[in-house]
Amino acid sequence: MIEAIDVNKEYRRAGAIIRALADVNLTIKSGEFVIVQGPTGCGKSTLLNVLSGLDLPDSGRIIFDGENIARATEDRLSKIRRQKIGFVFQDFNLVPTLTAVENVMALLWPTVLREKEIENRAIAALRDVHLLERKDHYPVQLSGGEKQRNGLARAIVHRPRVILADEPTGNLDPESEKQVMDLLKQINKDMETTIIVVTHRASLNSYADKVVQMEKGAIIKIQ
Amino acid sequence: MVLREKKQFTVFCLMYTVLIFWTSFSIELIIESGGLGMASASFFIALGVGIFLSLLYAWIIVRRNSKIIATLKCIGWTNGDINSLVSGFILFTTILGFILVIEVLFHYAAIVGYLEAAAAALNGSTYDIAELPLVSLLPVVVTFIIFLSFQIIAILLANRKILKVRPIIALKRVGE
Repeated sequence: MIEAIDVNKEYRRAGAIIRALADVNLTIKSGEFVIVQGPTGCGKSTLLNVLSGLDLPDSGRIIFDGENIARATEDRLSKIRRQKIGFVFQDFNLVPTLTAVENVMALLWPTVLREKEIENRAIAALRDVHLLERKDHYPVQLSGGEKQRNGLARAIVHRPRVILADEPTGNLDPESEKQVMDLLKQINKDMETTIIVVTHRASLNSYADKVVQMEKGAIIKIQ
Repeated sequence: MVLREKKQFTVFCLMYTVLIFWTSFSIELIIESGGLGMASASFFIALGVGIFLSLLYAWIIVRRNSKIIATLKCIGWTNGDINSLVSGFILFTTILGFILVIEVLFHYAAIVGYLEAAAAALNGSTYDIAELPLVSLLPVVVTFIIFLSFQIIAILLANRKILKVRPIIALKRVGE
């Protein structure tokens, strides 16, 4: 359902040109759990950004559900993200002035759904990630693992086709990391959601159906 | 959401309240004095401060919340959705400032009127309640229209800044 075809991306940094992605070709099937792994600076986050439409490749195509999103307008990309993509961030990215349930509801606020329906869906999502008892708490009152589960609830509330997670356990202790990864695996299994996790930790490979190894902007191995 | 940004909201709401009162009072003085001298100077200074404050508030809202705006873009909010949110922030704060001014004027007029009427009754005379103290309604309405136009300019500035917020700043540094 997601395909990167001959994708290249370069950045300028301090006058130097950095080749973040070099002729990347990758196919991810619907329902797969994929881990993109590699050392810092290998291009894995850039790959995630172009797969999601957050950044545009310099050349190549990104086919998402049959549509080339590399040439889509910003409004079209927003619509795709709202309907089909869920994001889990390394730094959680919760709105500090909203409660846990409101942070989940925030994804659905711009839609035509009624407030009560949005709240019901948010509560269901929090229940799925075992965070319902903290729904009225603010992010500052949550632990790291709880914040990430809150982020995960926000990522699944609209039942997306794919969840993209950029180092989702980067700021968590081992126990919380296991909780979050177990939840992602469960979501993958129960909802048949495609999961793409970017990480530098090889210890998480056992969760994946496919591990994509990257180095210096290129895919060196898929296993 | 705007009410939960307590510090920022309280500070700007109070500043708007003072500024709206100052502008209204200046217009009242202009009407009474025929438009010359200190009243006009006061009015134009108030206008200058008003437009500056409006632009500053819009700039602060977008700048301080740029990561949140980027996150909202990541999860599917369009620029239009975010513009509506920020416009609401700006207008709500201004309108509340107006309501506060009107409340203060009403209470002031009521207290003064009540006390003057009581004093007149003690003296055996009558009190003319048609003479409203401090600021009449027309200057307040004119000030409201002026400040609304300032907010429209501020909202346009905020919209431009929102367009420049890239969603990927919500993620960790790219190039890795």
